[in-house]
Amino acid sequence: MINQTQIKNIDWILIFLLVLNTLIGIAVIYSSSHYLPGNYFLRQIFWTLLSLVVLFALLAVDYNILVTYSLYLYIGCISILFAILIFGRLIAGTRSWIRLEFMQIQPSEITKIAVILLLARIFSEFKRKYLSNEAGISSSAFVLLAVVLVALQPDLGTALIYIPILLGAFMLAGITRKTLVTLLIIALAVGILGWGFFLKDYQKDRITSLLTPDKDPLGTGYHIIQSKIAIGSGGLLGKGYARGTQSQLQFLPARHTDFIFAVIGEELGFVGVVGIGLFYFLFLARLFQSVSKSRDRTGVYIIFMVAMMITSQFFINVFMTIGLFPIAGLPLPLLSYGGSSLLTNYIAISLVVNVKMRRFVNV
Amino acid sequence: MMNNKIYEDLSLAFSRARITFTVVKILFVILILYFWKLQILDFQTFWQKSEANRIREITISPQRGLIRDRNGVVLAKNIASFRASLIRENCTNQEESCLKISTLLGLTPEVLNERIQKYSSLPLFQPIVIKDNLTYEEVARIKSRQYELPELVVQSEPKRNYPFGTLASHVLGYLQEISPAEMEMGQYKDRRMGDLIGKTGLEKQYEQSLVGTEGKILEIVDSIGRELGEVSRVDPIRGNEIYLTLDFDLQKKAEEILDGLEGAIIVMKPKTGEILAMASYPNFDPNSFINRFTPEEWMDLINSPEYPLENRTIRGLYSPGSLFKPCMLLAGLDLGEVNDSTTSFCRGSILIYGHPFACWKAEGHGAVNLYSAIQHSCNIYFYQMGKRLGIEKIARYARMHGLGSPTNIDLPGEKTGLVPDPEWKRRVRDEPWYPGETISVSIGQGPLLVTPLQIAVHTAQIANRGLGVTPYLLAREIHEGREIAMRQENTGGRSPVPEAYFEKVVQGMWQSVNDRGTSLLARVRDFDVCGKTGSAQVVSTATAEKLAKQKREIKTHSWFTGFAPKDEPEIVVSIIVERAGGGGATAAPSARELFELYREKYD
Repeated sequence: MINQTQIKNIDWILIFLLVLNTLIGIAVIYSSSHYLPGNYFLRQIFWTLLSLVVLFALLAVDYNILVTYSLYLYIGCISILFAILIFGRLIAGTRSWIRLEFMQIQPSEITKIAVILLLARIFSEFKRKYLSNEAGISSSAFVLLAVVLVALQPDLGTALIYIPILLGAFMLAGITRKTLVTLLIIALAVGILGWGFFLKDYQKDRITSLLTPDKDPLGTGYHIIQSKIAIGSGGLLGKGYARGTQSQLQFLPARHTDFIFAVIGEELGFVGVVGIGLFYFLFLARLFQSVSKSRDRTGVYIIFMVAMMITSQFFINVFMTIGLFPIAGLPLPLLSYGGSSLLTNYIAISLVVNVKMRRFVNV
Repeated sequence: MMNNKIYEDLSLAFSRARITFTVVKILFVILILYFWKLQILDFQTFWQKSEANRIREITISPQRGLIRDRNGVVLAKNIASFRASLIRENCTNQEESCLKISTLLGLTPEVLNERIQKYSSLPLFQPIVIKDNLTYEEVARIKSRQYELPELVVQSEPKRNYPFGTLASHVLGYLQEISPAEMEMGQYKDRRMGDLIGKTGLEKQYEQSLVGTEGKILEIVDSIGRELGEVSRVDPIRGNEIYLTLDFDLQKKAEEILDGLEGAIIVMKPKTGEILAMASYPNFDPNSFINRFTPEEWMDLINSPEYPLENRTIRGLYSPGSLFKPCMLLAGLDLGEVNDSTTSFCRGSILIYGHPFACWKAEGHGAVNLYSAIQHSCNIYFYQMGKRLGIEKIARYARMHGLGSPTNIDLPGEKTGLVPDPEWKRRVRDEPWYPGETISVSIGQGPLLVTPLQIAVHTAQIANRGLGVTPYLLAREIHEGREIAMRQENTGGRSPVPEAYFEKVVQGMWQSVNDRGTSLLARVRDFDVCGKTGSAQVVSTATAEKLAKQKREIKTHSWFTGFAPKDEPEIVVSIIVERAGGGGATAAPSARELFELYREKYD
């Protein structure tokens, strides 16, 4: 299954950058939650170790095999999403968790992997210069089903991340002006319909409070205001590790999860933001550079969609903490606390490494 | 192993990926620029906001100064109490929390909303007191729900307490919440909405001394308002302690005498003006309405027809009746209208200006000289003297001896009384002065009005043989254990009337008590009490005569004023009991009790 050449071609730099960013995340998680019960940073370390094991274990399986069976994987994930929608217990107001003995798992995270593999399979068949209607419509249908199921949980944030994955595939396949216009019209229609029929009031508030956070400083604007205060008050050098008042005194909401970047901004300052941003950039750069290392279309799609997934989630999350994007309840990949998200990202990186290490084998 | 696959041409895909990555790079640059703006350019603004987030300023109410009687008995102190306040800043939904809080504290939402409305102008972080005098059970209930209702906080504050309840309530006064109008007055500039201030009595008069200085704590709090530590602390400074001139026992006795009646008693030292007792009845218990709400009890007091909140000693206006006769005699002697040999013959009534004027003793006193006129309080003698003097001279001598002007006691709200003259009548009533009115004024009736305190001060001047005096209540003021102020003995001006004439008036008053005069029930063995009774008509003379003809009983106000001992006077007692009949029967024996008690305690 796995040979010397492949092991030699494992992208250790990518894995190093992955683990480095995870460790930075663990340090910040400790700072922002050590005074809370629950030992979040220990749990994150456990998840990191588990994810690493999964990452390496998955390398043994050729990604082409995974792609071949991607439809079954997708059907399995969709079934689970259906099941928890019907039977799932409400945790924090949403039905997005499966409760196991010791941990909770968010199937909506893992489903992303299935979607990436399925899209890779669909698009590897199309070799035209631009996206065809069949490919566009069939892939959209698969993704939309997952998006709707996740959005119904309701977990709009996670559902949102499926869109950049799909768009990534489209972009790679090539978007004509006609397709672009069509997509914009669809987006507009979905937006209007969503606003009129589907979005709940609190979700609408989150969007409007983006424009006017001071209108309701204790309500929907609270998170944005407190997060911006945290970041702004960090200044050049920050208030010091584990010494951020906004974070330590709990003015900042969801410190170790969605708003972890605000903790970085407050405690480590502009220098910390640039430093940690640089490590993250190197990681993403390595991902994007990996695209051209693939020798087959499937691999290109897999790597690019993984890059799109992580990059878009990074930007949405960071823009959210500085008030440039509505609060969507989305973790910062690798840095935020959250096992399912971490595991999903590690599996995604495992796929990238998988593609890269086998690039000479299939030739 | 090589298979036959040829490399696909993926260059188009690669270049599209590269373009995407370029976009990512641009986004990174934008992100860094935005963080530059937030963290470097806007740093000051956000830094201040984060400081304001975590630092909370808490004021600590100082203990209000104690009030003690002259011997140290505590008349007003402080006890611990708890109040519940709402910090609107911590509300996620004000309406919802109002509902929750109102059920938690047993208030109606309307009352609560009204309360919040009243203070809506305060900054959001400032607590609004919504209930005070919490029970321990209520405190526990609030504390146990602190996580759920971070906007509801319990603060402890010292609460004013009057251990003897109604005792000296008019003198001490009471506290209530400062009103918006008072907030705008300069003297309360350090006070805040929701603070309690003295509204009447000494609590008001010496507010600045008693109030003390607020302490301040700067503390770090978390987002739901839990304290995590102090940054700095300035301890509050206790209000100054004040010692009064009041004597607890005399005050108590005076109030016992008045219990169930309406009236006023003043006991004072004639030489110095120290007030030993000042009682007004009916009274009230200030403990029962020291809170920020307006209970029914309070409304009852305000609306009571008996005006229990009025301090009758300084705000009750009465005709002096026969108590005015010593003053008349002083005028007569000084102006040479009467001397030791002047006598009148009392047949029980007299016709003046074609109108009959009666003496209180229908069968008449017979021949009366200046001593027996005071002794037996003969009206006829003074009618004739009044007729000779005329109203202008009478008014001049009344004003000379403390009537018609405030005594300047250290209490707020003192009334002036009224010494009428033709000028006054023209101005106020737009009518000429009728000569018959002069006759009424001669025996202390008519428009002449005095306060009981004016009578006491007037009596003190007679006792001092002409030396006036300013009455006072505050004896000493103590700030952190050091005496910072002591009342200088404050004698007023001397009357232009020679001492010898005062001596004659005193002699008449001595006879009134000790020689079977009208005040004989005020007599104390071996204490040489001098006094004068009065029975002031409540209604006008005309009505009184009409009622008398119908043989209907007119209850007059019962007056007594006097001092003892005759030669070295130590104590003045003035009493009025409303609608209690003749002064000799009601007020004089009450005065005896006070003279006796004083003698027992201080001689």
